[in-house]
Amino acid sequence: MGISVLITGGIGFLGTFIVEATREQHPEWNITVLDLHLPKIPKPDISYEVGDVTDLASVTGIVDKTKPNVIIHTAGLVPELAGRYGREQRNRVFNINVNGTRNMLAAAKNAGVRAFVWTGSCCAVVDDMRYQYPNIDERWPTSSHSLIYGESKTAAEALVLSANDEKFSTCALRPSVLFGPGDHQLVPSVHACIAKGETPFVIGDGDNLWDVTYVGNIADAHVLAVENLLSSTKTAAGEAIFISNEQPITFRDFCLAVWREFGHIPPYEFHIPLSIASFAGYVAEWVTWFTGTPTTLSRGGVLDACAVRYCTGEKARKLLGYRPRIGIEEGIKISCKYMAVDGPKEYAQRLKLQNANEPKP
Amino acid sequence: MGVKATDVLYYAVHFGELRNIIQWQTWHDPVHNRDPEKESPSLRVCFEFLDKTSRSFSSVIQELHPELLVPIALFYLILRGLDTIEDDMTISLQEKDPLLRNFYKNVEKEGWNYNGNGPDEKDRVLLVQFQNVTEEFRKIKPEYRDIIKDIAKKMGNGMADYCAKAEQNGIAVDTVEDYDLYCHYVAGLVGNGLTRLFVESGLANKALLQRPHLQESMGLFLQKTNIIRDIKEDFDDKRRFWPKEIWSKHVEKFEDLFDPKNKEAALNCSSDMVLNSLNHADQCLFYLAGLKEQSVFNFAAIPQSMAIATLELVFRNPAIFQKNVKITKGEACRIMMQSTQNLQKVCEIFRQYARKIHKKNTPRDPNFLKISIACGKIEQFIESIFPSQDPKVIAAAQSAAKLAAPPPANEAEAKSAAQAEEAKWDTIYLLLAVFGTLFVISSLMIGVAVYFGARFDVAFNQLKQGQFGKPSDAASIIEKYDHGEL
Repeated sequence: MGISVLITGGIGFLGTFIVEATREQHPEWNITVLDLHLPKIPKPDISYEVGDVTDLASVTGIVDKTKPNVIIHTAGLVPELAGRYGREQRNRVFNINVNGTRNMLAAAKNAGVRAFVWTGSCCAVVDDMRYQYPNIDERWPTSSHSLIYGESKTAAEALVLSANDEKFSTCALRPSVLFGPGDHQLVPSVHACIAKGETPFVIGDGDNLWDVTYVGNIADAHVLAVENLLSSTKTAAGEAIFISNEQPITFRDFCLAVWREFGHIPPYEFHIPLSIASFAGYVAEWVTWFTGTPTTLSRGGVLDACAVRYCTGEKARKLLGYRPRIGIEEGIKISCKYMAVDGPKEYAQRLKLQNANEPKP
Repeated sequence: MGVKATDVLYYAVHFGELRNIIQWQTWHDPVHNRDPEKESPSLRVCFEFLDKTSRSFSSVIQELHPELLVPIALFYLILRGLDTIEDDMTISLQEKDPLLRNFYKNVEKEGWNYNGNGPDEKDRVLLVQFQNVTEEFRKIKPEYRDIIKDIAKKMGNGMADYCAKAEQNGIAVDTVEDYDLYCHYVAGLVGNGLTRLFVESGLANKALLQRPHLQESMGLFLQKTNIIRDIKEDFDDKRRFWPKEIWSKHVEKFEDLFDPKNKEAALNCSSDMVLNSLNHADQCLFYLAGLKEQSVFNFAAIPQSMAIATLELVFRNPAIFQKNVKITKGEACRIMMQSTQNLQKVCEIFRQYARKIHKKNTPRDPNFLKISIACGKIEQFIESIFPSQDPKVIAAAQSAAKLAAPPPANEAEAKSAAQAEEAKWDTIYLLLAVFGTLFVISSLMIGVAVYFGARFDVAFNQLKQGQFGKPSDAASIIEKYDHGEL
């Protein structure tokens, strides 16, 4: 019996890489992509279905029709930076991330799907900004009082893991902040700091370590998780697993490495103490409230910039046999080259569309 | 010890460092002390050699547990003897080769010594009077003797191979692999020998024997760091240990490193070397976790802490190509004080210097990101053995918060919770508005009354005195208050 895989959100940034990794490592599998629209350039050996995960009837119809054995549910919404710290987008984020997942689980269980791999996020744990997260593992609790994105991932993860049973194996992957070619958030907004003259400023001591993961490695982890759930041992069934590049670095150094790829080295370095930055963020929030135009700075952004967030990665190694194939340095080179080839025009257009500088997965 | 005027000036400004020196010299209490009274004359001679040949190791060796004191002192002198033969360029290869390869046999021969060293060789006298070492060596436990002989044999052979290669090709350390091999012979083997001695004496965890790469790292981290620091001195003595594979990425000829014109390239080359050394650091900490006895821990930890401090000192420091740089005595004393306590203190030293290296790191350096990742790896390792967070505490705090305010389980609940929240704030705003209005109006009324001459101060005092009724003679009371003191 052949394996058929349904990948939701398969046209998105991470989804594209998951489709690619699945096809590359299992050319014998049938792949169907479920997304809100069709891709501009469809791939010949992949089927496409247009559907909306927030609509139960729509996804049930597609799952019943395509009869997959495996579902990789990666469709989700990451609020842009301006919305990350507020609660305005809560319902929209919850609808897509939580209801969407609930619908996919119901449709999958109903259709007798064997394996369900879901793209969660480390934010389920680390968005609770009251704590720092050095070298964490899966013993750390998820938080239901953090930021809307983290809360949505916590709620959806609970649904995914509790749906796991003998016949229906589920697994939640929690990737860190991710980057790669085609990423609209991280590398472009880091690059944008050059034009804005923001590169010399460092908030806090700049010693705080982060996990930043190359998108292709996260895609690999998804394929490994599918393989695990289809195996006889199914050790990853019902488990949540952090996925990282296993190379914690300071976020400042990640930015410096990106800027260097574009030939920019900050002429000097200016450290802004956390307390002053935090106060400035507070003032900026009031300015935003008063004028209605969002500023780059906010207290949440300051806390994000000074956060310590990296995991041990041990569970992924042990259960999935996961090792990042692409190191951060190579990943940055690939991503920046892609941006340069993309041409400054398209890039400038993107910049207008966003004013973010530290997006989350 | 002579005191230089520059030193006086330095410590006058760096008072904290001077304090470290005084603290170390007054307060440091050795775990064990050797007792020269009970020692044979030849053993006393051995300890004199130890003092002469090594300033840095001598004191830590002399504070070792009595069980290991003599074996390790002799081990050191035997290796120093080998080194003195290998280093001496006045000895021909024909003579040197068998000397090195058979050295492990000679250490047991009664009365063996060697006077073939050139007159300028600084440790010449050690070999001339080596019979003192052989005499003491024959007295130690056969188990220790076998370990030391085994290492001396391997090291002698490795050194002989290296000397032959150096004579043949001119360059002995070509690839990074050659570099690792050379460091293995002169330092990695020492790590192995010491580990076996520690375990044999029962003063270290047996599991260390199962981890040869940790033992290797202990030696390589020290050796590689010294090789970086001594670049100028070695170059002047016509020795080259930096592998061609690394320096050829940055300069054309090895000599170019010392030309101030090539400062940037030389610095980048040195950070390439620092990166190579830095990658051993976390394994050294891992190794130290296996040492139980305090004096053995101190003996192993002090040189490692010194090495990470030295690595920070030489990192992106152009002075290494001009002169021999050294950590100051004040810094050394502080490091020794911290390293003779426990693993956590040693980890703090490592984290502190890793962060200093990270601060000096610059994107101008081709190895910028690799160095950053290596520093991150050290921090992560320290966090793994001494976690700064406890997930149970966070989980407990969260479940306490959940009890106080149950989280919205689904959309409907969330909505009602949000509505409740909104209603709460509505009430608060309403109350604020009511009290605000009351406050403003009362203030206005009181203000107007005062303006027209109302005496609230008098009224308050009357109230205090318990006169709630209408005063009989208001004017006289007011009079009393206004001119009471007169």
